[in-house]
This record gives sequence, C-alpha cells and structure tokens, in this order.
Amino acid sequence: MSTALNKQPQLGPQRLPMHAASQTKGLEMERRLQALFPDCVNEAVDALLTTLPVPHRRLERWKYAAVNGFWAECARSQTQTLVATALDPLPVPGLDAYRLVFVNGRFDAASSSLPVAEGVTCMPLSDAEANGREKRILTDMERTDWFAALNGKYATDGVFLSIKDGVVLDRPLVIHQRQEGVGNPTFLRHSIHLGKHAEASVVVWSSSSDDASGFVNTLTTGAVGEGATLRLDKVQDEPGTVHHLAMESIDQAASSHFRIQTATIQGLWVRNDLAIALNGAGADAVLNGAFLPNKSEMVDNHTTVDHRMPHCTSSESYKGILYDKSKGVFNGKVFVRPDAQQTNAYQQNANILASREAVMNAKPELEIYADDVKCSHGCTIGQFDDDALFYAQSRGIGEAEAKSMLVHAFIADILDGFAVEEVALEVRHRLAEKHNWNRWDDPSDN
Amino acid sequence: MAYDGKDKVLEEVTAKAYEFGFTTDIESDKAPPGLSEEIIRFISDKKNEPEWLLKWRLEAFEVWKKMEEPEWPHLNYNKPDYQGISYYAAPKQKKELGSLDEVDPELLRTMEKLGISIEEQKRLSGVAVDFVMDSVSVATSFKAKLGELGIIFCSLGEAVQEHPELVKKYLGSIVPTKDNFFAALNSAVFTDGSFCYIPKGVRCPMELSTYFRINESGTGQFERTLLVADKGSYVSYLEGCTAPQRDENQLHAAVVELIALDEAEIKYSTVQNWYPGDAEGKGGVYNFVTKRGICHERSKISWTQVETGSAVTWKYPSCILKGDHSIGEFYSVAVTNNAQQADTGTKMIHLGRNTRSTIISKGISSGRSQNSYRGLVQIMPSAENARNFSQCDSLLMTDTSGAHTFPYIEVKNPSAKVEHEATTSKIGEDQIFYCLQRGIDAEQAISLIVNGYAKDVLNQLPMEFAVEARKLLAVSLEGSVG
Repeated sequence: MSTALNKQPQLGPQRLPMHAASQTKGLEMERRLQALFPDCVNEAVDALLTTLPVPHRRLERWKYAAVNGFWAECARSQTQTLVATALDPLPVPGLDAYRLVFVNGRFDAASSSLPVAEGVTCMPLSDAEANGREKRILTDMERTDWFAALNGKYATDGVFLSIKDGVVLDRPLVIHQRQEGVGNPTFLRHSIHLGKHAEASVVVWSSSSDDASGFVNTLTTGAVGEGATLRLDKVQDEPGTVHHLAMESIDQAASSHFRIQTATIQGLWVRNDLAIALNGAGADAVLNGAFLPNKSEMVDNHTTVDHRMPHCTSSESYKGILYDKSKGVFNGKVFVRPDAQQTNAYQQNANILASREAVMNAKPELEIYADDVKCSHGCTIGQFDDDALFYAQSRGIGEAEAKSMLVHAFIADILDGFAVEEVALEVRHRLAEKHNWNRWDDPSDN
Repeated sequence: MAYDGKDKVLEEVTAKAYEFGFTTDIESDKAPPGLSEEIIRFISDKKNEPEWLLKWRLEAFEVWKKMEEPEWPHLNYNKPDYQGISYYAAPKQKKELGSLDEVDPELLRTMEKLGISIEEQKRLSGVAVDFVMDSVSVATSFKAKLGELGIIFCSLGEAVQEHPELVKKYLGSIVPTKDNFFAALNSAVFTDGSFCYIPKGVRCPMELSTYFRINESGTGQFERTLLVADKGSYVSYLEGCTAPQRDENQLHAAVVELIALDEAEIKYSTVQNWYPGDAEGKGGVYNFVTKRGICHERSKISWTQVETGSAVTWKYPSCILKGDHSIGEFYSVAVTNNAQQADTGTKMIHLGRNTRSTIISKGISSGRSQNSYRGLVQIMPSAENARNFSQCDSLLMTDTSGAHTFPYIEVKNPSAKVEHEATTSKIGEDQIFYCLQRGIDAEQAISLIVNGYAKDVLNQLPMEFAVEARKLLAVSLEGSVG
C-alpha cells in the first residue's frame, strides 16, 4: 500500500468500465462514419476506439449526459451535403473581424476572409496538414475519451492559426461553424499556436438552420506561449436537433493568460469539455460560462484545470438558469499537483431552476496534493428570490419583467466578460429573442 | 517555518506507539477462515437463529457473490482476501451474566485500559455501555433501569431471540442486502451488534453507548446496529472504537440502520479510532461502513463523527428525509496522518416537503495521507421547499498529503435551495507564529488551531465524547505541521 501511495497522482479516471450495449452502438456509429469518410485513416485512433469505453451512464464523466441522441443522429446521416444557403457569413453584425466559415464541417472559402499580416499564419487545417505545417498529435482528451478520439480520426478540417512571438492579432478572428441539412456529422479541429507574448482574440460561433440535425464534434487545441494571451469567446446557438460536443484542450506556458467565455444560447444537446493545463509558473486561466436552456434542452459543462506548476491562478464561474424541462450539468475539477505550491484556484457554480421540471446536477470537485494553496469552490442551486420579486412587484414592475431583471443581474458578470464587445451584445440580443425578454436589447437600460 | 525543532517533534510523534495497541488474551471460539454457505449456517447455528434470518443471510450471500468491490472511491489499497478471513470469533466462556463480578477479570482490565471501566461508567457518568468484544456482546449494563421505561437496549443476537417481530420488521429495511458490496457481506455474516428500541414518547434518560473492538488476529468485525425511535421519542447514541495493534490489515464492514418515526429524534455520535497502521502504512484496519437513517414526519437524525483511525475509511452516514418537515444533519471531523486514506462524507436524500439538511465536514490531512469528502445532496421532485447547506473545509498540514472534495448535487425541484461551499488551505503560519510569540509551543498551538477549526463539529458531541475527541485530535496530529 505504501508504494501505491507514493505514486504520482493521476488526473483522470483510473478505471473505465465498458458497457456491452453502448460498445455495440459505438461500433455501429464508427462503421457508419467509416463509410461516410472513407479517406479518414488513423491507426493510433483505431487502437484507442477499440480500448476506450463508449460513453454510458456508469462512466463517471458521462453520468448525467445521455448520448443516445448521437446514435439516432448518426443513423440517419446520409452523405456530406453542402447546401447553398443565403448564410450571413458573419454571425455578429457590424463586427470588424477576420472570419473562417465552415458549413457542415467543410471550409467555405468564398464566405471567408483570412488574416494577412506579418507573423500571422492562418489557413484551413487541411491545408496546414497538407503542406506539413501542422502534424496531428493526439491530446490527452483523445486518449481517454471515446468521442474525443473520434475527432482525432474524422476531423478533416478546421482552423490553423499560428502567431509569432510578440505579434498581436489586430482584429478578432471569428470561426463560424454552420450546421445545415439532415443528419450531417461534422468534425472540426482547430489548432491555435501563440508564440511568446503574442496575443489573439478568437470567437468560435456555432449556428444552424432551424431544421438542421446531425451532430457537431469540435476539438480546439491551444498552445499558449510564455507571456502570451489567448481569449476565446464561444457561442452556441443551434436550433433544430443538432447535438453539439465542443472540447478545448489548452496548454499554457509560464506567465501566459487564457480566458474562455462560453454562452450556450440554444441547442438540444450541448456539452462543453474543457481541459486546461497550467504548465509554467505564473500562468493564469479564467473560465466563465452562462447557459439558459429551455424546452427539453440539455447543457453540460465539464471543466478540468490542471495546476502543474507553482504560482498559477485559475478562476472559474459558471451560471445557469434552467427553464421548462431542461437539464443542466456542471462538473468542475481543480487538480493541484504536488509541485503546484502557491496555487490560487477559485471555482463558482450558481444555478436557478426556473421551472418545476428542470433538473440540475452539479459536481464541483477539488483534488489537492500540495499544501500551500488557496482553493475554494462554491455551488448553489435555488430559484428566483421571492423577496426581490415582491420588491419589484410592489413598485409596479410585473413578475415577468422582474424576473428578466433578475436574470439580467444574475448573468451580467459572465456576459460582460466577453473579449469582443459586439459578441456580448449579440448574445444578449439572441437570448432576449429566445426567451421573449423585451427589456434586454440594450444593456445600458437597467 | 518560523520555529525550529519540528523534525524532532515529528519524529517523536510518529514513533509514538499506538496507545490502545494491547491484546487481550482470552480463548476464543473461532471459525476456520473462509466464506461459504457452511460458514453462514455455522454462524447462524451458533447464534441459535430462526429460519427466516438464516434465509435472509443466504440470500445476501448470493447477492454478494455477484457483486464487485467498488473501485470508485479515491482509495488505493490491496483488496482483502475474503476467503482468508475468519468470520466468527466469540469469547469462549460465554454464559448468562447477572452482574459484573461474573465477567472475566482480564476483560475488565481491558475495559479499564480503554477508560470505559463499567463500574466507573455505572457510578459516575450514567452511561449504559453495551460492550461488543469480538462480535459477541459480553456485558450490558443499566438494562434493568432502561427496561422500566420500556427501552430495549441489547445485543442484536439477543433481540433476535426476544423481540423477533421488531427485528424482522426493521432489519435491512434501510440498508437492504443488495445495497452495496460491503453491506451485502455484512448481511451474510454479521455476528452481532446492538439493538435499540425507544418506545413512543419516551425520552431516553441517558446516553446509550457501545464500544466495538476488533480483538482476535485475522478476524473481521461485522457488526450491525439497528436503532428504532418510535413516535415522539428521543435518544442519543454513542459509538466509539479502539482496536489493538495488528500487522495484517483487518476488515471491518459494519452496517448501521436508524429509523426515526414521526417526531422522533436520534443523535448518533461516533468516535472512530481503529488502528491506523504504522508510519510506513503497514497494517491498520479497513473500515468499510454503511450507515443510513430514515426520517419520518417531523423527525430528526443527526450524525456526528470524529474519524481519526483506520488505514482505509469508506463511510457515508446518510439520511433519507422521507417525512415532511424532517431534518438531517451531518457533522464530521476526519483526520488522516501517515499513510492513512479516508473517503468519507454523507448522502442527504430529500423526499418530503420542507425537509432540511446541514452538512459540516472538516478534513485534516497530514503525513502522506489522502483525505476525501464525497457527498450527495439529492432533492427529489416531491421535496417542496427543501433546504440544504453544505460546508466542506480541508486543512493541509504537509506538502505530501492530499485533500479532495467530490460533492454531487442533484436538484429536481425548483423550490429547493441548495448551497455548497468548500475551501482548502494550509494551517496558518501566522496563527502558529502568534502562539509561539506568547510562549505556546508549536505542538500546543497546532492542537489549539485544529480544535478551533473543528469546533463546529466537536460542539455537537455529547460532553463525555467531546473530551475524548479533543484528546484524540491532539494525539493524532501532534507536531505534524510541515
């Protein structure tokens, strides 16, 4: 037993039990994908796909998120169709930005506008891989999770962005992922490299047509160099029955900054899986998210912050308001390794259940192996404050309006944190549209 | 560190032999090692049990055979060889005991060493002690006095003989045989335990107490406690344990079931100080315990635990808040030192309306130990206006120890208010410095700080226990600051 204790702590599941029925379903899906993407070959992933368990309810990381929808969506997938649409290539009106547009996982060159600047290399991932600039290296996520492993094999395109030391990208880069048509399986892989003291703001915007179905599987890898700053705004706004799985695997060097803001506006099934490794002293990570599902939507936010080196800081805040029969999941893990002294980690998850049938499952975890640390987490699940509602009503503000004011106040700090102001405005606008809030369009109106 | 000599202190403490590590030499009647239907029949036969109980045991055994030992806890240990354990050991000279004079003097001396001399207890503290030594209860005191009030307090074996209707009704009703691996094992092979029944409207006039103790080498302890508080009654129950020093890992898989009927209140306090193994992580008790209580209308169950012992602890005292307006509480201090590992916490299942629960958990990790809080707060759709507050704090003493928090929060009712907060930090150097300045040495300072840190929980303990618990905390942690 003493030898077992001396082992280095392991991040991630120690044991991954398989479930026979799920395994069969997963195999079926993989066969179908093989038929749809005959050119995708990756032996390393094939080995993983046979040894990794296909997600099921008994797998700790998938306890609260059922994946049945994926089997159904995949079964009806035909072949990749690129539908010509009157798509507005820029989801955020009036934003001065570079953009790369992908429709059903295919790069749409005509709608895109790539940055051309000294020290900035940006192109579709397929090009970068073809000309040898990018080599596909499997992340830890792909080594431990079946769905992530699929991305390693089937992602044919995405964004490759590389910024040289000391270069600051002058405008935000918008990656617009559009889902259209019936049952299209979409795999995208974005690779971002920031040199020392480089800086970039990237917006990943997912949208779909109202009748779209299928699934989106995105993996973003980020290597943030020493002293560099990467800001990632992530917006998910997909009507229809699109199943969306977004993964981010970020490696941070010393004194680097990474900030991700996630807003889940709509989506039948949305899961965000973040893995952030603080690999150098003084690295700082900020993770924020807001989700407001209604009807029978499901939003799952999984985050892992791996403190590997001393003097790193991380701060995390996720807020959810759940309407109708929606389901929310939050799982945040702060992992502090023995060497990561003087770590300062903060995690907060606050939720409001706005309806009788809504369900929230939260699991904020701390796993700490160093002693000189300050780590805390808080988690609350409640409802609109009766006193606050009464206060508003006694002053002539109707219940619906009072509630929208409370919602506004509740998630304001998350929405204010977007790197690109126009994105924050557009998110507010779309949330107001979805939930029929009329006071919401103008943030100064409060 | 602001003071010197810490290494010396550390050495002294780690070299400190386990205080209660003595063995009592009494011949015991012991079954051969191994687990099979025959052994279960043997145990049942030895205890002269009725047919239904044997059937119940065998069913549990069948279930257990199909189960797998859980691997989800944050624990790392060599799984016990379940066929290498002897499942029955009883002191040989068991006979009807009318008075203490008939008890083996050797046994009495053991009790004295533990500081629970029955005479003492009888005369001074007013605590009735049901002393379970190697599975068979050998002395029950104050029984007559409790009997006047209609309170039944006896060993489970006795209860099976004398109150079969009560045992049959409640045994396994809260922790069913197929609940989990260790509960199933316990159901199959439990040898004895305590049974307590408080009749309607009776307030138990004294703290009821049981001391469990593993004594025989190579034996596991599988006791089972069943406590029923009938409508409107009140009882405070204490459970404490110390175990002698052994090199082999010893297995302890107990089950505790509490039933609080309408408007009843149960206060269940535990001081757990099984042998934790030596500084190298050799030996020590494996403590796999299933504790659960059910609250009916307007009733209350309060669990308080001070966990300082055991090499491995796996324990989640839980409350099912079934009745409307019922209350569940969980107060815990878990201390791990050297190579100890603990994965402990609670489950609060809210089913009734206006149910409330409070969780206060304080973890202290020292040496190379790993201390985890794992808890579940579940608000079911029927639990209107449920309320939960959870606070889990961890204190780290050394840079080689670990403190972990795994809270599960599942809410299915919008009227619920659930709050959870957790912090992890190092013992305050400035606090120690402050004490040192004023002539309080490091050891005392730590004891002071830790006792202050754990005060919220210690205050919940009955007086006699609180004193012992404070002593235990100090002994477990002396000089262990890193």
